[in-house]
Amino acid sequence: MLRSVAALVNKTSKVLVCNSGYSSTLFVNGAFGPAINTIALRQQQTMPVVDSNNPLPKKSASPFGRNQPNMVEWSIARLDDLLNWGRKGSIWPLTFGLACCAVEMMHIAAPRYDMDRYGVVFRASPRQADVIIVAGTLTNKMAPALRKVYDQMPEPRWVISMGSCANGGGYYHYSYSVVRGCDRIIPVDIYVPGCPPTAEALMYGVLQLQKKVKRMKTLQMWYRK
Amino acid sequence: MAKYLGLDRLGKIFQIIRQSGGIKNAYMKLYRFDDLKVGTLVGTDKYGNRYYENPYYFYGRNRWVEYADHLNLEYDGSQIPADWYGWMHYKTDLPPIRDGSRPKYKWMADHSENLSGTKEQYMPYSTTPPKVQAWDPKKSK
Amino acid sequence: MFRAPLTKVIQGRFGSPTHGITSKAIRSSAALSQTPAKAPEKIEVFVDDVSVKVLPGTTVLQACAVAGVEIPRFCYHERLSVAGNCRMCLVEVEKSPKPVAACAMPVMKGWRIKTNSEMTRKAREGVMEFLLMNHPLDCPICDQGGECDLQDQAMAFGSDRSRFTDINHTGKRAVEDKNFGPLVKGIMTRCIHCTRCVRFACEVAGVEDLGTTGRGNDMQIGTYVEKLFLSELSGNVIDLCPVGALTSKPYSFVARPWEIRKVSSIDVLDAVGSNIVVSTRTNEVLRIVPRENEDINEEWLADKSRFACDGLKRQRLVAPMVRMPNGELQAVEWEGALISVAKAIKDAKGAVAAIAGQLVDVESLVALKDLLNRNGGETLCTEQNFNVKGSGSDLRSNYVCNTTIADLEQADAVLLIGTNPRYEAPLINTRLRKSYINNEMDIASIGPKIDLSYNHQNLGEDAGLISQVCNGGHPFSKVLENAKKPAIVLGANVLERPDAAGIHTTVASYCKKLNKQGWNAFNVLQNNAGQTGALDVGYQPGTQAALKAQPKVLILLGADGGKVDREKLPKDCYVIYIGHHGDNGASIADAVLPGAAYTEKQAIYVNTEGRAQQTLAAVSPPGMAREDWKILRALSEILGTPLPYDNLDDLRNRIEDIAPHLVRFGKLESSTFGNLTEQLATSKSIENTKIDVKQKKLREYFMTDPISRASPTMARCVREVSGEEAKEESQRQAAC
Repeated sequence: MLRSVAALVNKTSKVLVCNSGYSSTLFVNGAFGPAINTIALRQQQTMPVVDSNNPLPKKSASPFGRNQPNMVEWSIARLDDLLNWGRKGSIWPLTFGLACCAVEMMHIAAPRYDMDRYGVVFRASPRQADVIIVAGTLTNKMAPALRKVYDQMPEPRWVISMGSCANGGGYYHYSYSVVRGCDRIIPVDIYVPGCPPTAEALMYGVLQLQKKVKRMKTLQMWYRK
Repeated sequence: MAKYLGLDRLGKIFQIIRQSGGIKNAYMKLYRFDDLKVGTLVGTDKYGNRYYENPYYFYGRNRWVEYADHLNLEYDGSQIPADWYGWMHYKTDLPPIRDGSRPKYKWMADHSENLSGTKEQYMPYSTTPPKVQAWDPKKSK
Repeated sequence: MFRAPLTKVIQGRFGSPTHGITSKAIRSSAALSQTPAKAPEKIEVFVDDVSVKVLPGTTVLQACAVAGVEIPRFCYHERLSVAGNCRMCLVEVEKSPKPVAACAMPVMKGWRIKTNSEMTRKAREGVMEFLLMNHPLDCPICDQGGECDLQDQAMAFGSDRSRFTDINHTGKRAVEDKNFGPLVKGIMTRCIHCTRCVRFACEVAGVEDLGTTGRGNDMQIGTYVEKLFLSELSGNVIDLCPVGALTSKPYSFVARPWEIRKVSSIDVLDAVGSNIVVSTRTNEVLRIVPRENEDINEEWLADKSRFACDGLKRQRLVAPMVRMPNGELQAVEWEGALISVAKAIKDAKGAVAAIAGQLVDVESLVALKDLLNRNGGETLCTEQNFNVKGSGSDLRSNYVCNTTIADLEQADAVLLIGTNPRYEAPLINTRLRKSYINNEMDIASIGPKIDLSYNHQNLGEDAGLISQVCNGGHPFSKVLENAKKPAIVLGANVLERPDAAGIHTTVASYCKKLNKQGWNAFNVLQNNAGQTGALDVGYQPGTQAALKAQPKVLILLGADGGKVDREKLPKDCYVIYIGHHGDNGASIADAVLPGAAYTEKQAIYVNTEGRAQQTLAAVSPPGMAREDWKILRALSEILGTPLPYDNLDDLRNRIEDIAPHLVRFGKLESSTFGNLTEQLATSKSIENTKIDVKQKKLREYFMTDPISRASPTMARCVREVSGEEAKEESQRQAAC
């Protein structure tokens, strides 16, 4: 019973999503428009339920899919896949431990979470790093240093903002000496919530970054230009 | 003796391959999860994820999930529903299928995964009132 | 706000620019202006062994200021009478047994004043201790914090340790808060009884509402009975208050002085052109305070100019709008709006007219005029009428305050015709009041009976009285003719009457008779900041010309006075509104182009005496709004007739070509050709109808332009003041 209902939801989900897309344009004027929209989405968006009789189509290993219009684009997409595979397998973070979050950041390097198995190795120099993990309260005094360090990192570079303070000032939001979120200084890719986030949460953040890296279209963009 | 020669490990490999259903399947599993383990299937959730346990491994690594096949490489920690989350994190030793005392209410939402990076991702919106209030030609009439 | 920076006080050697210049202090001191001008035989005194020569009658404090020594003070203020009750200015004078109060004691020959001796310091510490004993320790929640005289002087001159042991606060003075109205917040426990506010109300504002009750520890500042402080200058007591007893209500708990960015600018809500400082933070105007300018506003500011700044955040036009076929204004992109506007102007083939409004700057006026002239339009007028045929607006002396604001203070006979300077130009009224107090000026008015905050003779409401006075047949003519420095002030509203030309010519020719060497008696008191500038660059006064032309396209440049409506225009007329507030103008428009308000642009404004001054941009225009002249420049590009200036400097050069005086900021160009007025005049007839003024009561003062109409503070003022005035009215009737 439950399964059939869920299957129904699954079948109609596409229609519903389309509907919600339409309704979002309608709601956009009202102050509660986005909120209602998210609630509506939350009700609909469930993961597909597996039915052994008719198995779901397998997701493609590549985020770009395999249906490129021509051969050249197909090969470029594959080259991108290769590049991204290389990049995501060796994300080297630069530690930027500023406060208590830094202790949790140390934990992901320790054996229990063991970040090395994802090819994530802490580097001490911004010139060797791919990602900077801003772990802790960014004060006004530290802000220029953060920017300088970020500027020294080679492209492509990413930023993980770890913890409430780095995300938006957190506990010290109303302090006179604290930057209200490190995204006021540098562009952040992944926000890890928590105060401080667990090492597992940060690990998950790194995995999310891997997913993001996997979607990069470096060569495809170059080719399109 | 066999232990010292590492033959038990060899036996384990065969065991794993057998459980995975052949060399090709074992290879695919290694490709997907970067890990090969043998264990007892504790349960399956409705999304097709399979949960395993083997106390042979060190605590912390003795419970694991093999994500549904259709997900291929697009699996994610948030695809584990809340009821299995507790078991995966050692909050409870009773998996949800064996635990009858879990409450089930009508208002409980179905599990949804982390949609960040997809079209349906949550986008924050400003709740602060604008500093400058614009003139509305309709209101002035 | 007017105190010297702390460092300067501590160093002591450097007089602040405000207080250091004695000539200024002497000129404006009420105490000294009464001393007869003797032969300037200077006497020598010694301030900290430095010899200083000063005029007899100079106080110790002023002598010290000449020597560059700043004496701490609370009650003393240059523009108010000397009270001498705070005792902070005590200094030691050699051979005097007691320290003397520097603010009240005139210097004697050969006095040796010691401003930094043991006795002086001890006296200051003692006074400070007494003041602080009964002052609450609530600086963290006090709005004055950071700009508080008591705070600074306690740091500079107070004792470094406390002897206050009453930790239970058993004897600490506490006073109930008072309600002074919607603008001034009174937290009277903080009051140190300097009585600056009382003296200001009595002397400058002319409202004897404030006073002290009780004696000693029970002394309180208040309004005697529970009532509001009804004055158009009430905001100035906030600046005068050296502590946080009187603070700004709309600005309460908004910002600290060290967080705000200050931009010197010009006020445009009346035609006085008061100099102001706009305080901003994060691109938001937080408050407006006066800036000192001896020639215009001294250091005061009228309430509307000070508190209407929150109107800059309401009812703003933030995006270009075009009226859709369904009759509704719809926000569009700049490109679309400009293209549809340009299309309308092109289709009109020269049948284009423009009306400039109240708050328009010279730059946009010139740009609009150039734009229209390039597109075949010649009809450009101002919304405010100035119904003078003949010489009309061609001669500058016809529409400015020729006597100048500062010189009105020296006038000894003034005739006001159809104007209420108290509300039309409060800071000119303070000048007249000063003259009334110091020069025993005779002042008369023709128009309805109004309260000018000083005694004056009301000659009547009939316009015929003007010709009577000007023919010399009225008793007041004698007063004017016998006066050394007579002045006649014509209200701008009088000149909107149909017989304005007659009134203007009659008065102008009479003034010619009254004029002395270096003294021009003829004044027109404008009440719009944009009017003088518009007439200077050659706009026609009055909307008639534009309406008569029956234009196909009408451009309203900030014209919100409600003098133009759809009925008077041809049906297919395309109305374009360029301005910053959604008001009368925008609601009748077919296309709305959002412009910048006066705090958002660098722009020239000409005040009623013809003094060109420039505002500076304090914040950026909201949303998609742009500076007005830039809009016109962009429009000209689309029309295919690009204006020959791309930046402000080029535009200023163009303005200099038209009227060179408009770019000499702060300077006053005297008007010539005043004598021609009579020869060019066409009519001298005056109708015998009643003369009226628009703003008679305080409640009519607060909302006169789109900014103040949008301001919630001004709305609150109107509400509370109306209530209070109605209450007073009923009490007066009950007493009769």
